[in-house]
Amino acid sequence: MLGGGRRIPGGGEGVAAVAELAGHLPGLPAESVARETLRFSAWGRCAEVAAPVLSGDQLTALAAHVRRSRERFLAGLRTQEIVDILDRAVRTLLDRSDPRRRRAEELLPAVTGYDPETVRLGLTACLKTFRGAQLSAFVAEDFANPQMLDGFQPLRKGGYGRAFGPALIAHVWAGNVPGLPLWSLVSGLLVKSANIGKLPSAEPLMAGWFAGAVADIEPRLADCIGIVWWKGGDEVRQQALLDQAGLVLAYGGNATLERIRARVPVATRFLPFGHKLGFGMIAAAALDADKAAGVARRAALDIVRYDQHGCYSPHVFYVERGGAASPRVFASYLGGELAALSHRFPRRALDAEEAAGLAAARQEAEIRSAVSDSVEIAGDAEGAWRVVFADDDPGLAPAGANRTVKVAALDRLDDALPEIARHAPWLQTVGVAAAPEELFRLSALLGEAGASRVCALGEMTAPEAGWHHDGRFNLLDLVRIVEIERGAEAAAEDFAAYCD
Amino acid sequence: MDFRDRVILVTGASRGIGAAVARAFAAEGGRVAVNYLRNAEAAEAVAAECRALGGDGWPVRADVGDAEAVAAMFEGVEREFGAIHAVVNNAFLAYAFDPAARTPFWDLDWADYERQMEGSLRGCFNVCRAAIPAFAERAEGSIVNIATDLVERPSIPYHEYTTAKAAVVAFSRNLAVELGPRGIRVNCVAPGLVYPTEGSRNTSEAAMERIVADTPLRRIAAPEDVAGPVLFLASDWSRFMTGQTLYVDGGLVMR
Repeated sequence: MLGGGRRIPGGGEGVAAVAELAGHLPGLPAESVARETLRFSAWGRCAEVAAPVLSGDQLTALAAHVRRSRERFLAGLRTQEIVDILDRAVRTLLDRSDPRRRRAEELLPAVTGYDPETVRLGLTACLKTFRGAQLSAFVAEDFANPQMLDGFQPLRKGGYGRAFGPALIAHVWAGNVPGLPLWSLVSGLLVKSANIGKLPSAEPLMAGWFAGAVADIEPRLADCIGIVWWKGGDEVRQQALLDQAGLVLAYGGNATLERIRARVPVATRFLPFGHKLGFGMIAAAALDADKAAGVARRAALDIVRYDQHGCYSPHVFYVERGGAASPRVFASYLGGELAALSHRFPRRALDAEEAAGLAAARQEAEIRSAVSDSVEIAGDAEGAWRVVFADDDPGLAPAGANRTVKVAALDRLDDALPEIARHAPWLQTVGVAAAPEELFRLSALLGEAGASRVCALGEMTAPEAGWHHDGRFNLLDLVRIVEIERGAEAAAEDFAAYCD
Repeated sequence: MDFRDRVILVTGASRGIGAAVARAFAAEGGRVAVNYLRNAEAAEAVAAECRALGGDGWPVRADVGDAEAVAAMFEGVEREFGAIHAVVNNAFLAYAFDPAARTPFWDLDWADYERQMEGSLRGCFNVCRAAIPAFAERAEGSIVNIATDLVERPSIPYHEYTTAKAAVVAFSRNLAVELGPRGIRVNCVAPGLVYPTEGSRNTSEAAMERIVADTPLRRIAAPEDVAGPVLFLASDWSRFMTGQTLYVDGGLVMR
């Protein structure tokens, strides 16, 4: 994920009445915690966030506290009990009258820059994936026998196995899409680990509210969660956390991930989640006169949600020729839908750097359009959306995000595959509109090329509960399996008091 | 459209469509009487926005269901602004547009219909009665009544609400015939679902997506979308139109 809210440097413009306390710091006396105020402004609202700045000693004390709490409480819980507590906490946040939920709807538009409707709908869509039934799906997806998290279970090869999460997982989160930290935090709790997460400066609130909601339901579980913050690039504090953890999960760009990887102790497992490049594929069969406009609407929703700042967001749509609606007509439908959606979900205001990036991408497209009949650009005067149409140009690259998308017309969707495969490390989500046989045929080719998630258009930004993030296992990747070998059990028989 | 030195009364203007209409008149230089029933603070805020937009704004409290209160309001507006050139009947009885929670016909009483007739038609009646003397002096004036596109296409059967609004349309046509010879025009604006407003905030995403799917312009109306046709009907640009209903719903209804 990338992007960021509109931070107001220093003091300045509108000041909110009360700063929202970010983070969750069980065991640390509130008065001992230094705070730094982050100020945000968008949509005529201001938000002040008091982010915690812990000393190295405080970080160490926090780590000790959450570990101890885990030993005393979480390690002894059954998985279903954890699911039940998290379910109740998530339900409070789904309730729009809940005070934390109201704060979230009020503050997150200012903090992230996303419009209030996008935030409201996005919060509900995200939180719904963490209700009890969905959490059970998480567990069942990774463990054929979920009881492996609670006790030793017979293994097919013989003997017994049990899954243990690390005593402490460190999460380094990134991006400004509200709720993203919940995926890894919830996974960490389900494997009964203590967790300390470092908040992203671009959205420093949601993880702390979640921990607070858990605390209201079961404070002993919330005692196993630490939510901290430091300014990006603070290597000293980061090191203090990395040294404590049995496993490190990190999100961000490749440069950030490289820096963190270099600091993770060699025996500590490191799971990096880098930026990704999503795209869509639309087969001719999906472009008959009745369906084409609906397909374009769903594609537009995927573009509009979080302004393409999710790892799953699309940047290019490959459109097959031969349908009743030509790729050019599809591109114009897409433009119309983007324009219509911008009334209800206006794009967030861009900071100088983003605006410059977008302007550069636009200029490049305009030059290509000027020298070639096969490139056309459509967009509104304010630059709130933009569709670049290109004939036979399968190039896969983000074109500035923030509702800028390329529609590439191809004779066959397969023609894009060599280009797609060139970007294997950056592939993840592909939105596909095609008949069932074609869906499976394309999925095999896309999987081979490096993609890990094929979904319907309109659902690119809302992965299913229990999805395999970047093709990996959410829970299985966090645990180690402890085995009791068959021989050990047989040998133990000799030592039983009731041995004949 | 130039509304400089024109005085417009907008009922129910402290929020939603009424507030958007008031602001739009003010942005064209109009002097707007911002009628409200309960929320004085919101009405004052709208009036202040009207002033900031280059027009004038003046909050005026009155229950449009009460003929005496309406008469007093007209006196007040004329005292404040000296004249009155157009009225927009936008006030209506609070109604929740929630498809999931709507009351089916068999659970409605006649009293529910009566309440809506009181809320929609009676307010319109009182305001029009009071406006006629003010308009007749100059043999010009425009009345714009807010209806709903549901009268033509009840996608969701909000029985008592839509029936009362249909009465407003018929009321307006009769009045157009009666008042045409006296230089007064009467027209309706019939919006589709408008979001967000106080009434529509519980309309589900699924219901909105269903409406959008059938709407050629592919979205739900915002309060500001309703303002343009209202201003047009209140202005001289529509001087040869009366008894008409303009549907403002992205093409959902065509007639």
